[in-house]
Amino acid sequence: MSAQEIIRARAKELLESGEIATFIGWEAGRFTNQTTPLVITDAADAGKLVFNEYCANTLAKYVTDVLARGKVGLVVRGCDSRAIVRLINDKVIKREDVYLVGVGCPGMKDRKTDEPLKKCTECRHNNPLVFDEMAGENAEKAVPEDRFAEVKEVEAMTAAERTRYFESIYAKCIRCYACRDVCPCCTCRECFVDQRRENWVGKQNNVAENRFYGLTRVMHIGDRCIECGECERVCPMDLPLMKLNRKVIQDMNDLFGEFESGLVISAEPSVLTTYELTDREEFM
Amino acid sequence: MPVVENNANAIPEDWEPKIIAFCCHWCTYTGADLAGLNRMNYPANVRVLRIPCSGRMNPQYVIEALNKGCDGVLVCGCHPGDCHYVTGNYYARRRMMIFKRLLEYEGLEPGRFQVKWISGAEAGKFRDTVMKAVEDVRALGPINLTREIPYFELPAMPDDDEEAFNAVPEEVFPEEVNA
Repeated sequence: MSAQEIIRARAKELLESGEIATFIGWEAGRFTNQTTPLVITDAADAGKLVFNEYCANTLAKYVTDVLARGKVGLVVRGCDSRAIVRLINDKVIKREDVYLVGVGCPGMKDRKTDEPLKKCTECRHNNPLVFDEMAGENAEKAVPEDRFAEVKEVEAMTAAERTRYFESIYAKCIRCYACRDVCPCCTCRECFVDQRRENWVGKQNNVAENRFYGLTRVMHIGDRCIECGECERVCPMDLPLMKLNRKVIQDMNDLFGEFESGLVISAEPSVLTTYELTDREEFM
Repeated sequence: MPVVENNANAIPEDWEPKIIAFCCHWCTYTGADLAGLNRMNYPANVRVLRIPCSGRMNPQYVIEALNKGCDGVLVCGCHPGDCHYVTGNYYARRRMMIFKRLLEYEGLEPGRFQVKWISGAEAGKFRDTVMKAVEDVRALGPINLTREIPYFELPAMPDDDEEAFNAVPEEVFPEEVNA
């Protein structure tokens, strides 16, 4: 049986048995090479679920939307499972709130160009790390040699070039907050950009305000980023947001030891919310 | 558009660097007070702002200060181990190390954002830090980032000048009325 058939069969069984209230997967979109996330509550809809090489969306964040209905079943690839771990570690959901059907991911394709997605070529954990059962086998995928290649590219520029480079990014940003909405780390009940009365960030769309938003976003999620690359994929202006996220991750790697977030469920605090007495001293 | 290396070659004649110093209440602010009591001279370009602890230092303050027109930002707190709240500056140390690198990655010159630990007794160190920060920023020139509001000179307001405010505009009252 293909992974898709197993997913359909299991979703049907789980919904019929009443073990889960909703199941999240993908359904076929309007075009053959397009899929869209699907939430089903009726076992009869299980036939709509698909799993092919165009399942680009990460499903984990939808759990927070449908959790009120009861236990959620969902398909998890590597990135989905890490996002679920992230949500559990952030105490947004509990492990027993979700039933995870793991599926090996060979890397997804961009539906417009048919090339592998950038986030998938950079992915280091394509197979689920946390799951209740596996649908099919683990998939093989090439792991990128250098995780921080794109950061090093930017670091090679002079300071003035970097200023111009990032200002051109912020000039393009339309502050649609899609990067925040899709991010499994961004689970504040009220985001600082929505706190109009506090007015942390202004309503104008200009370089300075966009920089304020961009840098704050990176500092907020920096030590929890699971490098799923969804922010970059959903950005309507195609801004290279992972260049910022990965910079913070690279620095934490260098300063506070090997860092990769969302691999195991643990109660340990994330890197920037804890400290060591032996941390490097630069400000004496 | 040519890439401008920095503004050091085009510093306006009457330009003075504007630096904001976020100082921890328990150490650096007291240290600054001691510097004042000891009649130490340091440049007036620095504006001291008191925060409860360096752990309170929100990275957003730095971005906002730079966006709103500061040329440099100084963050000062107790020496690690001396924090009034026991651990606040340990958190600040990690956060500021990451944030400083992030700002430099975005092209900010290292001298514009400085972090220093200054205890309540180190009035001399406070003076030296401020003097060095002002010197560094003065050498760098005005900040090279696009700011929130483009700088422009406001026209003189009528109430700046009592006489002009009370003067009768000629076009409103023709000659014959005045006469």
